Amino acid sequence: MLWQSVQPMGRVTAQLATGDQGMQWSGPQIWWWIIAVFTVGGAISTVTRRNNIAAVMSLVATFFGLAAMYAMLSAHFLAALQVLVYAGAIMTLFVFVIMVLNRDEAEPWAWSGIFTKIVGVFALVYLVTKVGYHLFGVAAAHPETPPAEFGTVAQVGEVLFTDYLFVFEAVSVLLLIAVVAAVVVARQRGGGGTDDDDASADITTTPAVGHSTGHEDHHS
Amino acid sequence: MIPIHWFLELAAVLFVVGSLGVILRRNALIMLMGIELQLNAANLTLVAFSRAYHDAHAQAFAFIVIAVAAAEAAVGLAILVGIFRNRRSVNVDELTIMKH
Repeated sequence: MLWQSVQPMGRVTAQLATGDQGMQWSGPQIWWWIIAVFTVGGAISTVTRRNNIAAVMSLVATFFGLAAMYAMLSAHFLAALQVLVYAGAIMTLFVFVIMVLNRDEAEPWAWSGIFTKIVGVFALVYLVTKVGYHLFGVAAAHPETPPAEFGTVAQVGEVLFTDYLFVFEAVSVLLLIAVVAAVVVARQRGGGGTDDDDASADITTTPAVGHSTGHEDHHS
Repeated sequence: MIPIHWFLELAAVLFVVGSLGVILRRNALIMLMGIELQLNAANLTLVAFSRAYHDAHAQAFAFIVIAVAAAEAAVGLAILVGIFRNRRSVNVDELTIMKH
């Protein structure tokens, strides 16, 4: 309580308005911190791993943490969707592609383009510092517990199929186009026996261990 | 009672981590995962404001963002497979064929 009295008056009232009571944390707040550390740790692990599979598994952990965050925000439908679609479907797609590529990174970081990287990182830090400073002042308009049907499949579905019906249909068409485009882009060229060089070369050179580096030099 | 700006600050931190992955890493797969992190940070912001205003419209929007992210991941990974088949690499520093 002593540290509160030292601060200016507006700061204290702002903290009271958002529900903080000094250093005493309630149970949900402790859970929030545990899940937040889990989520951010998974995210940092994702972008620092050299092994691609380890990165994907860290990303799955991050998505589970985010699903828990959605549940804490009473968005239960989105929490289930996060686990099913993100941690289930999209990450499975990533794992399949990594199994196809099957190559770890020799050096994950390089000095090339360092000026652009420095400018990008500084711009990012400046932007987020500015935005994050103002985020501290955001208070909930309705801090009370939402009604029981908030965030359920019924309520989100009602909004989705009335106000956003056209958007919903457009997204379904977008997904169809994306699936067809993915098949067209990633298919073996020539469709089997009539291809010229690359598809058959893949099949013959992939099992030869140690041949790949020479192949790479040959191409570059 | 958890203040709503805690969730917003967490989303900002996740966005920074994802952006750093996109800017600093050279593996195109890790860059795609960084983009997924950025999209999820935006989704967390949408859901937090949905809870703050007791408004389900933002949750419908987050649903649409998830669907678009699925389409983005499918096309992006297909492009990566195509690039790897031709160039034997997913290192973005070596993909300079459009510079010459």
